Amino acid sequence: MSGSNVWSRSREKIRIFPELFAQCTTEAAAYGKCVAATTTGRQELKKDLCSKEFEALKTCFTNAAKRRGK
Amino acid sequence: MSSKVLTVLQGLGPVGSPGAVSSVSRCRMRAGASYVQCGRFGSGSVRGLTGSGSVRGLSGFARGSMNVFNRTMKRRQKNWAASQRDRQQYDYLKDEVGGRVADRVYDVARTFPLALDIGAGRSHIAEHLSKDVVQRLVLTDASEETLKQRRQTEVQTRCVLADEEFLPFKDSTFDLVLSSLSLHWVNDLPAALRQIHQVLKPDGVFIGAMVGGDTLYELRCSLQLAETEREGGFSPRVSPYTAVTDLGNLLGQAGFNMLTVDVDDVQVHYPGITELMTDLQGMGESNCAWNRRLLLHRDSMLAAAAIYKEMYGSEDGSVPATFQILHMIGWKPHQSQAKPARRGSATASFGDLSAFNQRSGTKEPHTNGHRGAQSRHLVHLFTACWGRWQQNTCNLGTGLGPGPWSPLCSTNSFDDSGGAEKCFPVCPDQHLSWISTNTFLDYV
Repeated sequence: MSGSNVWSRSREKIRIFPELFAQCTTEAAAYGKCVAATTTGRQELKKDLCSKEFEALKTCFTNAAKRRGK
Repeated sequence: MSSKVLTVLQGLGPVGSPGAVSSVSRCRMRAGASYVQCGRFGSGSVRGLTGSGSVRGLSGFARGSMNVFNRTMKRRQKNWAASQRDRQQYDYLKDEVGGRVADRVYDVARTFPLALDIGAGRSHIAEHLSKDVVQRLVLTDASEETLKQRRQTEVQTRCVLADEEFLPFKDSTFDLVLSSLSLHWVNDLPAALRQIHQVLKPDGVFIGAMVGGDTLYELRCSLQLAETEREGGFSPRVSPYTAVTDLGNLLGQAGFNMLTVDVDDVQVHYPGITELMTDLQGMGESNCAWNRRLLLHRDSMLAAAAIYKEMYGSEDGSVPATFQILHMIGWKPHQSQAKPARRGSATASFGDLSAFNQRSGTKEPHTNGHRGAQSRHLVHLFTACWGRWQQNTCNLGTGLGPGPWSPLCSTNSFDDSGGAEKCFPVCPDQHLSWISTNTFLDYV
């Protein structure tokens, strides 16, 4: 296997994941707290329960990726 | 020797006893109809009989044969991991556990002419062994590439490419069988242990280490919560492990006696979830269960990273991953081994033990003072833990109900009768009675 292919591209994306994730610590903490609250509280974890926090995290992450791409 | 006895008594206590991992949060969640207790207690002890994949009649039991893992895939994953350029950096866990297993081999005061290492990998145990403990060693592994890269050792070795469940050796050939971190990918663990029992000579010993119980519970929890929140359901991502309580019974049923099972918690800190997953892949420990989902959605991965860091992260930003290593030692029966004393043959009573302490000033003629102090300390610990151990060996079948290998109910998968499920109580006295006050001090 040589050159750029699906395997090497996804490996590269995984490799830079921590760098981009490190730029979004506040959003990640907010999302994490929202989900962690369901484990101790009475509320069951359902789909899209914390979607607001997740959207914030995702936009931060994609912006970081765009910034890095430039 | 005394420290090993101590760990026997401590290891069989509940997982949450002091001296185990530092406390972390428990998470419980309801997922649809099934209640999954995600946390340190009771998770991962159920190995379901997954329906997918062909039924292998390896032991002749057509119904209910264990087929959890795709062994071909595991071989391919190990071969892939061995052919990576940076494979050396992933060896830290296996080296550490291999060193601990080698320590236990040294603790047995014998020389073994012929030993077998099952799932040897790059011979992580052999590099710590010396010629005066093991004279000849046979290394087996399912993956050829890893065997080719075995390390140098002064012991004479021979490599055999063999699967852990199909050992190609005659009965009663080996004095010692070793296994380090490979039995957790075995489909039919009772059968594998029985085969190990068969290839051992009488008075041979099996010293093994496997991951079990609560290993990677943080990863399992984070992925579970992330997938539920993002996708509405979840699939098992971390392979199922054997619980500590089941292991003693598995060994007993395979025919070993004088069992020792203890638990080592190894906690490794990683910068984040992706580094942990990359390292697991590099070690050749990727999931190969038949029921694994092949896709991890990028949203779920991002969510899991956030959850892992928030729920389990430490102050310096790193996240811990727990590997709970179960060490086991079992002996093949032989006349020279200590038998349980006959019931009613005790010559001393537990009431006399308190008199032991008061005689601290006097020197016993047949033991030196140091040994006497050591044995007194052990007897104290023994009596303190007696009640707890009894309770834990009687009170079996924890958490999510009897699994396939729970001792309370045996399914017909490893029972010749093929009839209805029959339940039998495991007699704890068999395990406890060999420690009568006479023989106990002999093992100090």
